[in-house]
Amino acid sequence: MSKPRRGDKQPEFRPGTWLAGNGPENDIAICTRVRLARNLQGFPFSPCLDETESRQLFDFIVARLQQTGLPEQLKIVDLLPVEELERTVLVERHLISREMAATKRPGGVAVDAEESVAVMINEEDHLRVQVFAPGLQPAAAWQRAERLDDALIQRLPMAWSEEFGFLTSCPTNTGTGLRLSVMLHLPGLVWSEEIDKATNVAQKIHLAVRGLYGEGSRALGDFYQVSNQVTLGRDEAQIQNDVLLAVGRMVQWEREVRGALLRGSARVRTLDKVQRALGTLERAQILTSEEALGCLSALRFGIAAELVQGYETAAVNRALLLSQPGHLQRHTREVMKPEERDQRRAVLLREVLGCAR
Amino acid sequence: MQYCTACQKAIATTIIMDLDNGAVTGSQHVCQACAEQLGVGAPKAPPKFSAEMLEDLLGGIKQPRGRGKASDACAGCGMTPAEFRSKGRLGCPRCYETFRTELMPLLQRIHEAQAHRGRMPAVVGAIAAQPDERSLADVRKRLEDAVRGERYEEAARLRDELRRLERGEAS
Repeated sequence: MSKPRRGDKQPEFRPGTWLAGNGPENDIAICTRVRLARNLQGFPFSPCLDETESRQLFDFIVARLQQTGLPEQLKIVDLLPVEELERTVLVERHLISREMAATKRPGGVAVDAEESVAVMINEEDHLRVQVFAPGLQPAAAWQRAERLDDALIQRLPMAWSEEFGFLTSCPTNTGTGLRLSVMLHLPGLVWSEEIDKATNVAQKIHLAVRGLYGEGSRALGDFYQVSNQVTLGRDEAQIQNDVLLAVGRMVQWEREVRGALLRGSARVRTLDKVQRALGTLERAQILTSEEALGCLSALRFGIAAELVQGYETAAVNRALLLSQPGHLQRHTREVMKPEERDQRRAVLLREVLGCAR
Repeated sequence: MQYCTACQKAIATTIIMDLDNGAVTGSQHVCQACAEQLGVGAPKAPPKFSAEMLEDLLGGIKQPRGRGKASDACAGCGMTPAEFRSKGRLGCPRCYETFRTELMPLLQRIHEAQAHRGRMPAVVGAIAAQPDERSLADVRKRLEDAVRGERYEEAARLRDELRRLERGEAS
């Protein structure tokens, strides 16, 4: 474990675990995330802490994380000196929440080298443990989170009760504090206009369907997050089963719809959509982040369905990340106006995808 | 009644005494204005129970933060039932007991359940000593007594002890 540091200044091309592009069902399930909400006794919950108390909490947790024997090698980033652009980059990499990036309260995040584990300190809860695994792997992600949670429980006096389980700031997280989410790429369901039906089914069995960046974010580029809503009264194994069952069905549904989109008269329309997207990526001079996400989504589908050759899913995943405003500006090492960004994005995506000529 | 020795115009309200080893070696009677000019303001009412002082001392048991002073506020963080209802968030672990009656139907609505199933620190084992509720209650009571008796040094010491205990550190 190293000392707290400022955010890395180097341009970052590694997409991080959540966009690694491998793992089971990776053509549709991009990544699985386990999130645990934990709080300490002896401190009010984070939203009620003043600056001094926040600092005390942060220092206390960091000291305990730095004790030996933690199952993960974590690097601690003190967020206070981190400027806005770097914060945006951390949000885009799913290492901190948008809320955390916006606050000036003392806090930070402990991250492993692969960015597959990120522990937010002093977010809405004192601790938000996140573990990412590529593809659909709830069990693997859970086991890793559980091991880390065991070690944290040994080091920190967690707030809990036999009746309510882990006590959290918001009652929507009380109990297990576990939110298991799977990020899905569902162009088939979107294009065939079955996505509303699919999300309604998920919601009926108490699963939340959200956009790429969690609560309140829109589903851009056909990317959706499916997660459990109930955290109280169902144990961790049941929650995993609930999510796995629902996501399994959605994956199967997406496969069937994709199959239909590639058959008969539908095939040429699908091919047209994919090729137009590719044409835009290859030729456009101005690309907004929304349009870029839409094109990249179509290209990702095109690669999975073998409609296009010469492009790699891994490159598309990198492009997805680099087309985000924070990464784009950090990569070019300058803060740009939205229109300059859109021009730069068009050029950069060609480089990343390997179609720069 | 005596006129101010400095301006000779106003009635003296303040006596400035020169002290040498406890013995008065000289004195000066001055009016309010001259006293202020000399940097000796009118003596203020003794700070019997300043809000900050009390808040600081009671940090371990209640943090009114200038708002939740109602008797039904949470003793852990000072959150009032009205605040809890408007935000729908709890202020500290103790709020779960304080707002229990309001919380139960809320949990039922969100989770269709009111009791936990699953992992618990005690089951995980080897937990960093759960705070002993009896000694916590004991220290809390001694702290309240100390504050009531205006024994601030003792109260500050007890507050720190309480915080340590709550965090599961050895006192």
